[in-house]
Amino acid sequence: MTCSLALALLLAAVDRPVIDLSGGRVQPLPMAIARPLGAADVGAVAETVLSQDFDRSGLFRLLDRAAFLAPASEGLTGFDYANWQAVGAQALVKMSCEAGAASAEVKCDMRLYDVSRAQELLHGSYTAPRQGLRLVAHRFGDDVVRYFTREPGVFQTRIAWVRESEAGKQIVTSDWDGFAIQPLTGASINLLPSWAPDGKSIAFSAFREGTGAHLFVVDVESQRVRALVLSGDFATGASWSPDGSRLLFSSSVNDNSDLYVAQADGSAARRVTDARGIDISGSWSPDGKRIAFVSERAGTPQVYTMAADGSDVRRLTFQGNYNQEPAWSPKGDLIAFSGRDEHRVFDLYTVAVDTGKVTRLTQNQGTNEKPAWAPNGRYLLFSSTRTGKRQIWMTQPDGSNHRQVTSEKGGASDPSWGPLPK
Amino acid sequence: MPRSLLAPEARMPALPALALAVLLHVAVIAAALWLPRLFDRAKPPRKPIIAHLVALGRPRDPRLLPRKESPPPSAAQPLTAPTTKPGPAPKKPEPSRRELMERALASAAGHATPESREPPDPERAGSASGSPEGTAASAEEGDAYFTAVHDAVLEHYVVPSVISERERLFLSASVIAWIGADGRILKHEFQAKSGNTFFDQALERAIEQTKLPAPPPDLARALRDSGVVLNFRP
Repeated sequence: MTCSLALALLLAAVDRPVIDLSGGRVQPLPMAIARPLGAADVGAVAETVLSQDFDRSGLFRLLDRAAFLAPASEGLTGFDYANWQAVGAQALVKMSCEAGAASAEVKCDMRLYDVSRAQELLHGSYTAPRQGLRLVAHRFGDDVVRYFTREPGVFQTRIAWVRESEAGKQIVTSDWDGFAIQPLTGASINLLPSWAPDGKSIAFSAFREGTGAHLFVVDVESQRVRALVLSGDFATGASWSPDGSRLLFSSSVNDNSDLYVAQADGSAARRVTDARGIDISGSWSPDGKRIAFVSERAGTPQVYTMAADGSDVRRLTFQGNYNQEPAWSPKGDLIAFSGRDEHRVFDLYTVAVDTGKVTRLTQNQGTNEKPAWAPNGRYLLFSSTRTGKRQIWMTQPDGSNHRQVTSEKGGASDPSWGPLPK
Repeated sequence: MPRSLLAPEARMPALPALALAVLLHVAVIAAALWLPRLFDRAKPPRKPIIAHLVALGRPRDPRLLPRKESPPPSAAQPLTAPTTKPGPAPKKPEPSRRELMERALASAAGHATPESREPPDPERAGSASGSPEGTAASAEEGDAYFTAVHDAVLEHYVVPSVISERERLFLSASVIAWIGADGRILKHEFQAKSGNTFFDQALERAIEQTKLPAPPPDLARALRDSGVVLNFRP
């Protein structure tokens, strides 16, 4: 009996004091990109692209190369991790790039290391034509992002936007960072590009053949343009459903603007709103079951949602008197929109679909409009006049990490983020 | 026939007696382990209450779109003794964020709103090493030490932004840390991992980087032998 009591007391005595800690600071992961080995010119390009990707992503804090302790000749493997630990790196990228025999081809060996645990995490060998070098760096960057976040990266994605010039407005595409611009249309009046989910084509609104704006589609590969919707006084704001089977757009018939859902080729359009006043700017929910849109039915433009067949209409925004351009996030929880505040300036906001809570993303930085989500939901593109001419900018959904994407002389607007590469 | 007084008494058989003894021992051990838990049962997990304190400013018309969260106002001016004769009572200023926080903390702790601190009490009871946000006049030395441990670890508690916001909300882990007499963390061990390698690594880094003061003598042995549990929440 005595022994049992002693044992019980001993076990009971192992109770430890407990301290609860919460509110850790969220910070980018410190990362070092070692000086590339091999062909200096090729390595420099790859390193620059990769550094910009990581820096713009907001996920990593790149360490200053001037502080590095490791010798420049240090190899891809078999190095001393202590040199990298000492400069505070937690992740380390090393690469070696070579130009092929014909110099038309480049080959890069890229590696990611966990400095704390002194182990290799990723190893990729990439061969590409020299003009594809940027894509090689983007690809390895996406591999790194996926490793850390377990979500796809967006470094290989393309974005579409409108390039503005004296000649008109032209639909172009570029890499997510604004490089590698590819014009898709002439410079007449082309607006509101919207990617098809497969990334092969882009719908847009254009004033052609002397009529009001109507919908057209351009093949990204061949740049061939064909008409999509020519009915009504005008048709604009095309948006393909996430599965690519339906097309949502707004059209005006007899001065009454409503939303329509049609087949992907624009046929068999069916009106899904039937209220007095304007109903425009439709955006699909990620599951394709609901649509966010703008309606004036309550007197001022506000953001609403409804089922894809037009039933179950719910008003989502109640603050402000001019809210427009809703964009439903790929994660489904937020809808970004632009709203005009009491100073009569448009800024970006998000509204939580569940609670209706509105959060402001931009303020006191010119006019900010046309939000467009990245396919992984981690970023938003938008147009901003903060530097003078309207340009494309990027932000994170909490309003942090604003980065300029375009620097077009005549301006840039109407961004649309393309799908993730297959 | 009457039983002889010299006859041996009937004895309990050995096997049942042994079984009874074992049962009794088991019952005692179970009671010793279970009873304290019955009266000292861990409270059910509660959702953390995060206080978003109202910033100093004008009330905003709820019909307007919101403003961005603005940074807190600059630190209050140091208090100086009045050099001139006080005039008529000045208009009561709007409470600062810090004052609002103190009120919220006091309210959460069930204390009266510390309105008496306006103007601040120059003889406010407390400790030279106390926190401006503290609400108690005195503290057990043990509590003061654990507060120091909390603050020291929190200083290094960094969550990598590579972990998605959605995942961050649900990450938690427990680490046992054994603390030496000089405040060094002798060793640490995960009692429960979060399931996210980067989060767990960040916690290990936080613990490795933390410098603690030496524990008070009455806690030193327990902290060295049994350690302290650090529960990390988002």
